[in-house]
Amino acid sequence: MRSLTRMGATAFLAGMALACAQQKTMYRWGGYDDALYRHYKNPQERDEFVAKLQGVIEEAEKTGGMVPPGCYAEYGWALYEEGRGSDAIAYFEKESKRWPESRPFMEKLIKNVARARPPATTPTAVPASSTGEEKK
Amino acid sequence: MKRILVLTATALACAQQRAPKDYSKLVSANPRSILVVPVVNKSVEVNAPDYFLSTLSVPLAERGYYVFPVNAVKRMLEDDGLSDAALVHGTDPTRLCALFGADAVLFVTIEQWTSKFVLLSTQVSVEFEYVLKDGRSGEELWRERQVAVYASDSGGGGLAGAIAAAIVTKASPNYMGLARQANERALGYPGPGLPAGPYRPDYRKDLPAPDAATPARSAQTASATSPAPAAAPAANAAPVTPAQQQAPDPASKAPSK
Repeated sequence: MRSLTRMGATAFLAGMALACAQQKTMYRWGGYDDALYRHYKNPQERDEFVAKLQGVIEEAEKTGGMVPPGCYAEYGWALYEEGRGSDAIAYFEKESKRWPESRPFMEKLIKNVARARPPATTPTAVPASSTGEEKK
Repeated sequence: MKRILVLTATALACAQQRAPKDYSKLVSANPRSILVVPVVNKSVEVNAPDYFLSTLSVPLAERGYYVFPVNAVKRMLEDDGLSDAALVHGTDPTRLCALFGADAVLFVTIEQWTSKFVLLSTQVSVEFEYVLKDGRSGEELWRERQVAVYASDSGGGGLAGAIAAAIVTKASPNYMGLARQANERALGYPGPGLPAGPYRPDYRKDLPAPDAATPARSAQTASATSPAPAAAPAANAAPVTPAQQQAPDPASKAPSK
């Protein structure tokens, strides 16, 4: 019985330590590393991976916009692999806007996706973040 | 006599930790972004490199650098015919960085990723080498090696408990926890790791002042005060070194599940 109480106390302390450790991070990671790990462990569970990345972004945006570096791009890549080209481009643009260091890579990815996509379809939902293209 | 030995060990440990690290190249290269390429594997665990790759973004970005999306980078390299990590590591760092527009590239190698029975416990150990190279000159900017070891303990259940705990550890060794520990230690600064990058508030403020008098003064303080507290850091520093010298054992091949 006593050992149970002790275990409880240890668990509580461990929880506290974890909570403190999590508060110290600059970004809201929300299990980004765990999502990647699971993706490599169970590559067949793609839907879960995509949903989790989306969750990381939504959670971070909701709580003040500290989306960690690479997250938009990783999600964009996952969408691209799902065949959702225009959605992918939107997230590559978000990454590029949020992190200027990513711009050359994101531009390359956007070009690749645009080339892979059949150009006949209507240009859907590319957000207005790309300035200067408003006038047609 | 004993005390002197401990103090010598402390001095040695400090000297080993500090003397070889030269941050001048890293400071002058001043990278903002780090490209993490797939990990080279020297262990027998085929999945280790991917698993380990997933642990690198968080600690690196938290040091204040832009970290390229590791999975997108990996897939893109594969599309470019670079699916072999050793091949990527053999590529000119300036070419790799130019491909992604990165300031620096981090090459990580898994030296060890094993679990084995030792007496009544299971010992899990990982060892990694981290090398950061400049995207413009290709020069090495920083290098670090880390070991993390975990041994299952008896859990207070006597002999049977010890064996049970060892079997549990053997069945599902917690590599990821160890890997994260190793990363934390490798990248921590002050410590052997990376000084704050541009996204940290202490960017350019945590660098040691170019002041030669500082180490001499701290040595004086240490000898003036009682040597007893000085023994404490020695006890902390000591276990790292013997673990590092662990011989790669041939038995590690046996438990291939």
